[in-house]
Amino acid sequence: MLLTVLRRLGIFILTVLVASAVVFFLLGVLPGDPARAQLGLQASEEEVQALREQLGVDRPLPVRYVEWVTGFFTGDMGVSYASRSPVGPQVFDALQVSLLLVLGGICVAVLIALPLGILSAVRHHRPEGTLFSAISQLGISIPNFLAGLLLIAIFAVALGWLPSGGWAAPAAGVDFFRHIALPALALGLVNGAILARYTRAAVLEVMREDFMRTARAKGLTPGSALIRHGLRNALVPVVTVTSIEFANLIIGAVVIETVFVIPGLGSNLIRAVANRDLVMIQSIVMCVVILVLVVNLLVDLLRPIIDPRLRSAS
Amino acid sequence: MRTVPSAGALTAAVAISALTLTACDAGADEATTPADESDNGNGTEVSEAHVSIGMFAVPANLDYTTTGGAAIFEALLYNVYEGLVRIDAEGEIQPLLAESWEISDDGLEYTFQLQQGVTFHDGAEFDAENVKFSLERLDEWSANTPELLSAVESVEIVDDHEVTVVLSEPDYDALFWLAGPLGTMFDPDSVEDLATEANGTGPFEFVSYENAVRMELQRHDDYWGEPAGVASAELVYYEDASAAANAIRTGGVDAILRSEAYDQLESFEEEPDIDMVVGSTQGVVVMAMNDDHEALADPEVRTAIQHAIDQESVLAAATAGYGEVLGGPSVPTDPYYTDFSGTYEYDPDTAEDLLDSAGIDDISLTFNVPNRAYAEAAAQVIQDNLRAVGIEVTLETQEFPAVWVEENMVNQDFDLAVINHVEPRNMANFANPDYYWGYDSAEAQDLFAEAAAATDDQEYVTAMQELTEHIVGDTPAVWLYNPPNVGLATSGISGLPENDLGVGIDLSDVTVSE
Repeated sequence: MLLTVLRRLGIFILTVLVASAVVFFLLGVLPGDPARAQLGLQASEEEVQALREQLGVDRPLPVRYVEWVTGFFTGDMGVSYASRSPVGPQVFDALQVSLLLVLGGICVAVLIALPLGILSAVRHHRPEGTLFSAISQLGISIPNFLAGLLLIAIFAVALGWLPSGGWAAPAAGVDFFRHIALPALALGLVNGAILARYTRAAVLEVMREDFMRTARAKGLTPGSALIRHGLRNALVPVVTVTSIEFANLIIGAVVIETVFVIPGLGSNLIRAVANRDLVMIQSIVMCVVILVLVVNLLVDLLRPIIDPRLRSAS
Repeated sequence: MRTVPSAGALTAAVAISALTLTACDAGADEATTPADESDNGNGTEVSEAHVSIGMFAVPANLDYTTTGGAAIFEALLYNVYEGLVRIDAEGEIQPLLAESWEISDDGLEYTFQLQQGVTFHDGAEFDAENVKFSLERLDEWSANTPELLSAVESVEIVDDHEVTVVLSEPDYDALFWLAGPLGTMFDPDSVEDLATEANGTGPFEFVSYENAVRMELQRHDDYWGEPAGVASAELVYYEDASAAANAIRTGGVDAILRSEAYDQLESFEEEPDIDMVVGSTQGVVVMAMNDDHEALADPEVRTAIQHAIDQESVLAAATAGYGEVLGGPSVPTDPYYTDFSGTYEYDPDTAEDLLDSAGIDDISLTFNVPNRAYAEAAAQVIQDNLRAVGIEVTLETQEFPAVWVEENMVNQDFDLAVINHVEPRNMANFANPDYYWGYDSAEAQDLFAEAAAATDDQEYVTAMQELTEHIVGDTPAVWLYNPPNVGLATSGISGLPENDLGVGIDLSDVTVSE
């Protein structure tokens, strides 16, 4: 077990390092000049060159990489070219916002996916099972930005129940929930529908297993057999898919944050790309990479706990 | 000697031009007492009111001396910062920190009498030293075109409240540029942290800026002039026009300036609780034609392209028809504006005849388009129009600003390129042969120099009109349209500026009525 954890950690560190190099050098060849982006259309080439030197973006890529990567992992992410203030606190603030949004999205997704998936599996030969499948199919086919716009049109503009955008910190209490409700719903609906499909498939497969037939033969009702023996087994693929979905949710959050005017990583990233604020882009992308890797690592470590059979296999 | 317009003219101009919106409901958030209210005939103005205004151009930081674009100075200038002079809603120069001025007959010396009793928000006194410091500091600006005031040779302090600005050569536009961001008066002790703090002499104090989310301003109680109409103003930044439109519908903001939600404007016209005012901007959406391309070097081909483009359709696609079709490089608020929109009428037959006469077959052009909705919509119409007369156009969508600026303005690698030039009085770029559209006309350069050297208004206007006509005749570009300045305000909000004049958005006249 310890060996597994160490091996996983080793892979994790290696992946982070490779990712940092990929992120940095890909951005290095991105067309567009941070100095020009900052000074605007009217600035002369001399002014732009002077700023390039001041920002240090005229130095060779490997030198800048080593400087950035050592800074990043020692907690100094550098200073944003655009806002002229340290990147670390800005990324940290935005990260908290995005994490709350993604967690809200996951809650919505799971709350939708588990009942919908299980019911459509249990009732898969009946009309209501087909209806549940159709609902999840519909959910998959709606892009989350469209879901966001529809939710705004209904709940903010037409009904006036919730704000159409903006953000309030958790300390704001009710206001926080009012602001996160629609974006979390927009983010969670689509992913909930996808997750429901996986849940349905996993439950269907479990229901065909020998141990389920044995449980039924021992006198358990189909419902209690599913709850006592089936769901735990069905949970392994569902948890794995949820972790993959986590990455999707973070990417989805980039769009949702723009639609709902939320100051998270996504909206910061889009603005940083437009400004060619390289230090900011690198730091945000690295944070997202690390976050996704951490979640994958946790799920890898969690699976043997959910399913004891995986312990011996590993 | 020319002297300043009277201060009374300033008040009248502001009163007439202020966007007056009738009142029936309040946007005020704070409790009021009778002493805080005054009746303006449209309802009761609430002097302790707070106003929240949706904006689009997002400031990267607060330092417009080293960061390009209009986003920062349009929020801070005239509100937090002030200069010696200002531009009023009619586009006229008016006194601000200078109560009057005189210009020598040779146009080389500008002597300003300064307002007395003016302090910066941190308490420091404003006097002639600040003028000298601020104008000499233009050498340290790297953004927002400090070279436009390069004629300023020296600043001589006469006494604490009188200063003479000496030019190396006459520059008619000097006062105009002094009324914009370049003329900002700074306190020497505050310039170290311009990116994060703003200490000016204006009617509002800067409170905070949450990056790309909101900027808070509050009324400066010791302001030397007429106090601001609201106790505080919040500028809320949106990157998406629809998000802002939804916000004003749901009470998220009280007003929106520079709205580009063109597809929704028709529905706003019908909203009883929201008033919409369409003014003009300094923008010229221009399609440059690069004469490095063999066909585009031929004036007949360029003229044919002018006739082939249906500018009304371009405007309809880009802004749902709001704004003005242009025929030349000046905008309606320029003092020398002449309407050239009928010069090259939409006429595909004439275009085809001209192309036949030019004798160049199979013209195929690459059209670099920034990834902005207005530009993509305009480009598609132009592509169809040109195809109809036999010119093949390939659209090349490029990320703006990073890629578009590099490819077109720096590398000058394009056949056709479109962009909205928002900087005021940008006709100067047609006198600069190195500018990306590569227009090199000795006559235009002479006319521009003649206009700059003008020492009276009529002389300047005549020279600029002649210059415009000359440029239009040479067809180096197609001037498509002047984008609208769309302001939306909930009932009770009044005093928002109607036109975008390329300077600060003056919020001091904004009031909230119940």
